[in-house]
Amino acid sequence: MAAIAARSSPLGAAGLVLAAALPAGALAVAPAVQEPRSGTGALRGRVEIRRDLGPVARRPAIADVGMPGPRDQPDRRRAVVYLETAPRGAFEDREGGRAILDQRNETFVPHVLAITAGTVVDFRNNDRTYHNVFSLSKAKRFDLGRYAAGQSKSVRFDRAGVVRVFCDIHSHMNAFILVFAHRFFAITGPEGEYRIDGIPPGTYTVAVWHPVLTGEAQAVRIPEGGDTELDFAIQ
Amino acid sequence: MRLRVRDLTHLLAAVVWSAGGAPARGETPAPEPGIAPSAQSSTPAEPPAAEEAEPPPQRIEPRRLTLGFEASGAFSSRDVGFFDYTDHEQTVLRLARASVTASLRLGSRAALLGEVRAAGGEGVRASALYLRVRPWPERPVDIQAGRIPPTFGAFARRSYASDNPLIGYPLGYQYLTTLRPDAVPASADDLLGIRGRGWLSSFPVGSFEPAHGLPLVAATRWDTGAQVRVGSEPASLTAAVTTGSLSNPRVRDDNDGKQVALRGEVRPAVGWVFGVSAAQGAFLERQVLAAMPVGLRDTGSRQRALGADAEYSRGYWLLRGEGIWSEWRLPGLPPVSAVAVYAEARRTLLPGFHAAARVDRLAFSRLSGRLFGGRPTTWDAPVTRIEAGGGYRLARHVSVKAIYQYNWRDTLRFRTLAVVAGQVSIWY
Repeated sequence: MAAIAARSSPLGAAGLVLAAALPAGALAVAPAVQEPRSGTGALRGRVEIRRDLGPVARRPAIADVGMPGPRDQPDRRRAVVYLETAPRGAFEDREGGRAILDQRNETFVPHVLAITAGTVVDFRNNDRTYHNVFSLSKAKRFDLGRYAAGQSKSVRFDRAGVVRVFCDIHSHMNAFILVFAHRFFAITGPEGEYRIDGIPPGTYTVAVWHPVLTGEAQAVRIPEGGDTELDFAIQ
Repeated sequence: MRLRVRDLTHLLAAVVWSAGGAPARGETPAPEPGIAPSAQSSTPAEPPAAEEAEPPPQRIEPRRLTLGFEASGAFSSRDVGFFDYTDHEQTVLRLARASVTASLRLGSRAALLGEVRAAGGEGVRASALYLRVRPWPERPVDIQAGRIPPTFGAFARRSYASDNPLIGYPLGYQYLTTLRPDAVPASADDLLGIRGRGWLSSFPVGSFEPAHGLPLVAATRWDTGAQVRVGSEPASLTAAVTTGSLSNPRVRDDNDGKQVALRGEVRPAVGWVFGVSAAQGAFLERQVLAAMPVGLRDTGSRQRALGADAEYSRGYWLLRGEGIWSEWRLPGLPPVSAVAVYAEARRTLLPGFHAAARVDRLAFSRLSGRLFGGRPTTWDAPVTRIEAGGGYRLARHVSVKAIYQYNWRDTLRFRTLAVVAGQVSIWY
């Protein structure tokens, strides 16, 4: 049911292989919904994480002569809530804008970035060392080469899907970019809260995505005006 | 002398202070990531999380036990000239290898690290097992003891398939010279007579069984002992005392002699790495020395080596070069030496696809005997190698490589070898 699924690879829990693109359902127009108009509603709620995620394991640096330097842990509590079916006309609103995926202390910040198709992402290097950002995902293949601290390189994401981002130099670095064909999505806050505004009244299927956890998609009816609450539990 | 010791102490203290006590470079506050303001204004219903400032980075305790895994399989056309054979009596171009690495954290200052490896038909063995300790958390001083990573040179620590842009190893880290730890020549002619036959050499003193010789530096085996590294970036010094030698790393001592190895590394700017190394140690087994006449036992049996390496990377390029000079002192013979030099380049052409090439040369000093009309002749046959190929990543941790390698050797038999090889590797 969930439009974007994560599943364990044969390599273990951390070796995730994600579905390379959003299935057609995520991009489909719901037949029952109305055209966007001024009388819209909002969807809000909380995503509860019911499993201890623990720290991200790093490949043992067996050939190093000395302790590895300190590095930050990615924020793995963030999930993305989105409308699996979007209102008619939502896909015509393709103004992307810009977003930033930073690199600090050998960590991508944020760990999960959600954008609309057409967005340009700036991959900043605010670290003390080289980074080499690349992705082999079907939704976007790119390799930015090695660039030093203080520099930034950009990539435009035109195709909806999940883009998994890595660093060629630091194998423990990874991040996810979710590229949506519409704007009805939200990344959860520190406490799991989320809010999607400007939803035209109608009945929708709402899904939640997390890099390692899964949750059930739910149907919800958005009335004209006011907030509708919808909570998720993922594990 | 007292002044020199004091100067050295001050230098070490300065390295420790600059690497650990001083504020780290690049600690200026960074702009907050997420959706940029322009994007926020362009979409009327941005997710609330995107509008918030990112929380401070998490400082979570790392896992107590972490594991890594690597498996690779290489296949090639036949190496009839034994150009790519290693000290395991198998060629790196036809080798199936699997290893599991583990790091067990013992508090915040210590960790136990190990690697179990199966390569070729050798069965499973512990190729690394050592304790890593950082006595002072705020100072970059690390002590490692056990079967430890190599101190000398650069390539031996990145010989894993995932770190090697090609499949073959540089000559200095793989090519088998005719010298052996368990047998020695009685004369110069014993050496000159088997030039270019390092895969199966034999000498009249010591073991009579023909066996493979030694490379300048063994990349596939690690030595046993203790090492100390002071500093990390931009400069570090590493010193090690081990039981074996560069050519013949060992778990148990076989000659009552220790090897001392030193390495200094400087990273003057992002993308640049320069290293210098030195090592000296006994390499002949005690049985061989015992078989020598008393007067010759004390003439020494040491291997001495110097090395220099450099790396530069920027954009889609990675350039590396390394030179090694090694000298062996054999009882009753003048010292013999060898020089190995290589340069390699890797370029990313497309996402997931790279091309690489290496040029390699191994040369030997000259020795005079009765053979070759008494003319000074290299004690082993010089070798030149070029290797070029490419790699493609099927996934983040799965890659395939293909190479073409050509070798020239200054001998009458098996002078040249052209070989094509492929490799599949998976690691995590």
